[in-house]
Amino acid sequence: MPKITPDKLRPGMKLLRPVTNKGGMVLLGEGTELTAALIEKIRDMGADSIFIQGTSPPSTPKEEALSGLDRRFKSVEEKPYMDVIKKALREHIKDLYG
Amino acid sequence: MGNVAGIRDLRDKIENINALPTIPSVLKRLLEVIESPRVSLNEISNFISNDPALTTKILKMVNSPVYGFPGRISSVNQAVILLGLNVVKGLLLGVSVFELMQKTMIGLWEHSLGCAIIARLIAEKKGLKEPEEASVDGLLHDIGKVLLILRFPDKYEKAMCDTDANGISIYEAERVHYGTTHASVGSWMAQKWRFPQKLVDVIEHHHKPHLSKSAPVESAIVHLSDILVRARGFGFAGDHALMAVSPKSWQMLGLSEADLRDVLWAFEESLEMTEDLAL
Ligand SMILES: [Fe+2]
Ligand SMILES: [Fe+2]
Repeated sequence: MPKITPDKLRPGMKLLRPVTNKGGMVLLGEGTELTAALIEKIRDMGADSIFIQGTSPPSTPKEEALSGLDRRFKSVEEKPYMDVIKKALREHIKDLYG
Repeated sequence: MGNVAGIRDLRDKIENINALPTIPSVLKRLLEVIESPRVSLNEISNFISNDPALTTKILKMVNSPVYGFPGRISSVNQAVILLGLNVVKGLLLGVSVFELMQKTMIGLWEHSLGCAIIARLIAEKKGLKEPEEASVDGLLHDIGKVLLILRFPDKYEKAMCDTDANGISIYEAERVHYGTTHASVGSWMAQKWRFPQKLVDVIEHHHKPHLSKSAPVESAIVHLSDILVRARGFGFAGDHALMAVSPKSWQMLGLSEADLRDVLWAFEESLEMTEDLAL
């Protein structure tokens, strides 16, 4: 899941596992926040996959995830503060799909 | 049921769950250790260390994002010293007991793990001193469900069927079938297992956190965590009904929509690192 190919790296992503060279030497430590320059270096190295923190898009389609959310909130939507919670979840689920 | 004598009888049956032939002998020994009045850090740590599979599970958990020490704990002794007796006791119970649940309520482990993570994240956001205690609260909040299922599997199955058929929560269905709920049942056992009063209180009140006397903040945290994990569609806790948040507890926590989104995002990041915590 958190494994992506170097062409999908974007600045701001953080490494879930260290990036090592062919000899196993750590070049970038776990947790490193990627910059455009670092991404270029990683691509130059020819690594085939990189582990990054955060989620790659979930396997269920976005529409389905959002309608599932509606279904779950159906009976409690009108209750106090549940609108705030639902809104946070809705935005959050959208975030998951980038 | 529902009368006083009925509840007393139910409580007796639950408290003597250790006598059931269906309880594996490893778990029996573990429950005896947990229950013993003067159990020491050493005894707990020896008990775990003598069982390689248990040791692996415990070390995986303490090094996961469920607790606050990612990758830093290398031995059971160290875990016990860093986290303290009660946290390790709770963890030990959690990893051992939910394993029995894999057939009856698939997803309860994920639900509990999710609550543990979110509870810790909210506790950190609120600046609580011991956020890892919130993890244990979250991990064990629904332990009463496990006990009811172990003791009365057929009845629980019926209660679960009622939830979808009648559009009620498992909490309400339990009240119909048992005259009480997993919240009370869990708190009886937490008391018997000599967990701290705060944990007993959180388990008892996680669906009615405004009634909590000794742990209103912790109860509110677990209450909200439970709602968020369900709302996110993660795990399964016996029904498909979302319960409304307690207005008083929500106000007490005073979290904004942005705070919730921070917590949820940190939760997703934690999940990614938690993939191998499957039992
Ligand atoms: Fe519950
Ligand atoms: Fe729950």
